[in-house]
Amino acid sequence: MKKISRRRFVEGTGAGIVAVAAVPAVQAQQKSLPAASATVSAGNSSVPRTAIKLNVNGVDHRIEVEYRWTLVELLRDHLELTGTKIGCDRGECGACTVLVDGTPLYSCSQLAVWMNGRSITTVEGLAKNGKLDPLQEAFIEHDAPQCGYCTSGQLMIAKALLVSYEKKNARPTRDEVRTAMTGNLCRCSNYNHYVEAVMAASGTAPSTGGGNAA
Amino acid sequence: MTPLKTVGHGTHRIDALQRVTGAAKYTSDVHLPGMLYARVLRSPHPHARIRKIDLTKAMALPGVKAILTHENCDTTWTSGDQLNQRRLFNNPVRFAGDPVAAIAAVDRHVAEDATHLIEVDYEILPFLTDLEEALKPGAIAIHDGGNLSLNNQRQPLPQTYKRGNVADGLKAADRVFEDHFTSAHHNNAQLEMRVSVAEWSGDKLTVHAATQGIANCRTDIAKDLKISADNVRVISEYMGGGFGNKNQCQDSDLMAALLAKQAGAPVKLEFTRKEDFVAVHGRWSSRQSYKVGVKNDGTLTAIQFTALTGAGAYRKGSCDLAGTEIYQVPNIETSVSPVYTNTAVAANYRAPAYPQGVFGIESLMDDVAYGLKMDPMEFRLKNMTRKFRDQTPYTSIGLEDCIRKGAEKFEWKKRWKPIAGSGDGPVKHGAGMAMGMFGSGLGRSSAVVRLDGQGQYHLHVGVTDVGTAAKTTMGLIAAEELGVPLEKVTVVWGDTDTCPYSVGESGSRTTVQTGMAVIEAVRDLKKQIADKGAPKGNDVLTAMATTNPPQLQGASRNSFAAHFAEVAVNVETGHLIVTRFVSAHDSGRVVNPLTAQSQVQGGTIQGIGMALHEELLYDKRSGLPLNAGYYGARIMTHLDAPLVDVVWVQTDEPYGPFGAKTLGEPTIIPTVAAVANAVYNAIGRRVKSLPITRDKILLALTQKGDVA
Repeated sequence: MKKISRRRFVEGTGAGIVAVAAVPAVQAQQKSLPAASATVSAGNSSVPRTAIKLNVNGVDHRIEVEYRWTLVELLRDHLELTGTKIGCDRGECGACTVLVDGTPLYSCSQLAVWMNGRSITTVEGLAKNGKLDPLQEAFIEHDAPQCGYCTSGQLMIAKALLVSYEKKNARPTRDEVRTAMTGNLCRCSNYNHYVEAVMAASGTAPSTGGGNAA
Repeated sequence: MTPLKTVGHGTHRIDALQRVTGAAKYTSDVHLPGMLYARVLRSPHPHARIRKIDLTKAMALPGVKAILTHENCDTTWTSGDQLNQRRLFNNPVRFAGDPVAAIAAVDRHVAEDATHLIEVDYEILPFLTDLEEALKPGAIAIHDGGNLSLNNQRQPLPQTYKRGNVADGLKAADRVFEDHFTSAHHNNAQLEMRVSVAEWSGDKLTVHAATQGIANCRTDIAKDLKISADNVRVISEYMGGGFGNKNQCQDSDLMAALLAKQAGAPVKLEFTRKEDFVAVHGRWSSRQSYKVGVKNDGTLTAIQFTALTGAGAYRKGSCDLAGTEIYQVPNIETSVSPVYTNTAVAANYRAPAYPQGVFGIESLMDDVAYGLKMDPMEFRLKNMTRKFRDQTPYTSIGLEDCIRKGAEKFEWKKRWKPIAGSGDGPVKHGAGMAMGMFGSGLGRSSAVVRLDGQGQYHLHVGVTDVGTAAKTTMGLIAAEELGVPLEKVTVVWGDTDTCPYSVGESGSRTTVQTGMAVIEAVRDLKKQIADKGAPKGNDVLTAMATTNPPQLQGASRNSFAAHFAEVAVNVETGHLIVTRFVSAHDSGRVVNPLTAQSQVQGGTIQGIGMALHEELLYDKRSGLPLNAGYYGARIMTHLDAPLVDVVWVQTDEPYGPFGAKTLGEPTIIPTVAAVANAVYNAIGRRVKSLPITRDKILLALTQKGDVA
């Protein structure tokens, strides 16, 4: 994964319109999973809707969405996945970060209709078979969440970072962690503990947290 | 200090699992069957009288269920203004963002659409954005009685304090230093936006509120809706930060309740991020003037301090300024005048009166030290407070140790430059320090503890846990007093139907006040166990306590801190980074060092943002806010944040639960001044207005002088 600065991240969400349009409308990710496909319909009946199929945390969904729904609205209001939070609803804070086909994106800045054929991972999908992800364990160990409202987003951006480093069998440095996560704001400003936790989960000795090198 | 078994050991939050799995239910996660969504229409003008509101088109939109305006709702929001009758919907509107209407509809998009269909005919009125302009003769009056707000005695006079005789003190001085400093209105900017969910069941109202204090929130709602508090239930299970922004009840709680009543359905009212910046509140701005008298040996003889503070359009907070009390000085006069303008409302933000006041006094004292060719650290050791206002002894004071141990950890003697600005460019390093203190009073709060027949203890405390780990702290205090492991204590919180009164997580009071109630309740329970034996089967033993605060016998309880900052400033570009930070704190015994460290590091980094970035700017011609939102505020990011080293000075405090004093708010108090003083040490120019932005640094360097 490339380093994502906060600004580039948001510019990226704008560019996403083009990128998504260019993706052929393949009904990908339609794995037949034990969990039953859920079909959901909700909202205002007078507004035009489009049926999309998507996979969220391993579960296939077919849902009619209004054009104006964002991905985060779809997740929170219609799929009852409220672990993803809205901190600004305008691409500034990163609280709503989820993985779309493995790529961390602000779900407030993605329209639900763009998600046709996509595979989404949210914070609820991090733990596998009742076992916490090492990042979740490290977040507890290092007291990373204070109020906890930005925590889901911090977890998802960190997950994307660590997966990309694992693929190349490398570990991020402290500065690489800070750079990758800088589009995820924490007003409690517990940045030191967040970085410590991510370093610990990456297997790098967490002797100190983030910090500007003198 | 004797080590304890449970208290004083780093412990994970009891709800950490919920916080990392998405299971924690915040107010915005509450979804009730048949629930409507509500949005607020706000004034686009800084000052206007509403001639007419036409709701015809909005009401005709399918899905719109209820609309409130000043015409059908005269409810007063008492905690929105301490002095004036601030209604939920005011006419005239007094700032860009003052609510004009609230709309409930079947979903949030319909509610938003409806806000655009409401037609409001405004008579535009003249407006004020500047504090000094607002006090000029002939200025328009934003409230009856003029733009100088009332003092604590409800007189149209400044809030004053005096001891000794300043004129004599200045006469006795060898040198007198004078200067002016300003600080900006900036926002709490907690990640969770304002949201309220209200539901009526007959006469009984349930409000899911994002509040820092469920008990006060409930009392306020009952008062303002003129219903019995018995009929109001407030629930706040998880809360996404507030920093003083979510004390008491919010207008959103009242609007949601009234809309739910009118529509006959539960209502979720959501504010947007922009509304959170312009229409909730931020820290009050200030204009400060100081005159300080000093002997050649560095002994202070007098401090004279006058200031204006920016209340905004309503008087929601004290709008006071603190800071001078960290110095011992025989003669002092202070005078603070809150002023109304047609701008966003100012109220509590983490240590509301402190970091901006400390920025002023600690900047000037730094100048005094340099002027006398003294090390600023030695100057502070010489003049720091020994008794509160030079009269009242402290119950415990670790300020000197905060300075000495903090300086040692920071390597002050190595990093501080005796000649400011003497480093080699273009990147110049500098070091600065500042002190702070914060009252840690004791007061009434309550707790209930129950032992069941299976040997489990249930602790009922009315805390909400705004991120401070309050419920873990309460559990630790109970476990320590009971002599059982923390797992044996189940903490029940966040619901006025199941929890007794707690003071609320404001004023950094929960640990010291509700913590004392926990100890008293547990002592009672232990006595009952001793008398009656432990309960078996279906039996229970229950104990409760409402604390009677101990008499301090004329002493003053305070927390203390000293912060040390090192910055690197590129004198060609003005780019600045904080390269090292040490925060030394005396908060008595630290109940949970793990979560306390989060508090100190977080408060400090927040303070660096206040020092360097944050300001809600207004266009003086239009009276409109220019940069409401995270990009504009430029709050601290991962990349901005330095590593903060925490030094604990654990004084043996005779009062408070196991010797604990206050922590949450002091963490931001000296930060801003420490950074500002480090900037001076690096570049040899003083930037006297917050935030210390790149343009001000460059101006300071090019104009060969300080920047006012």
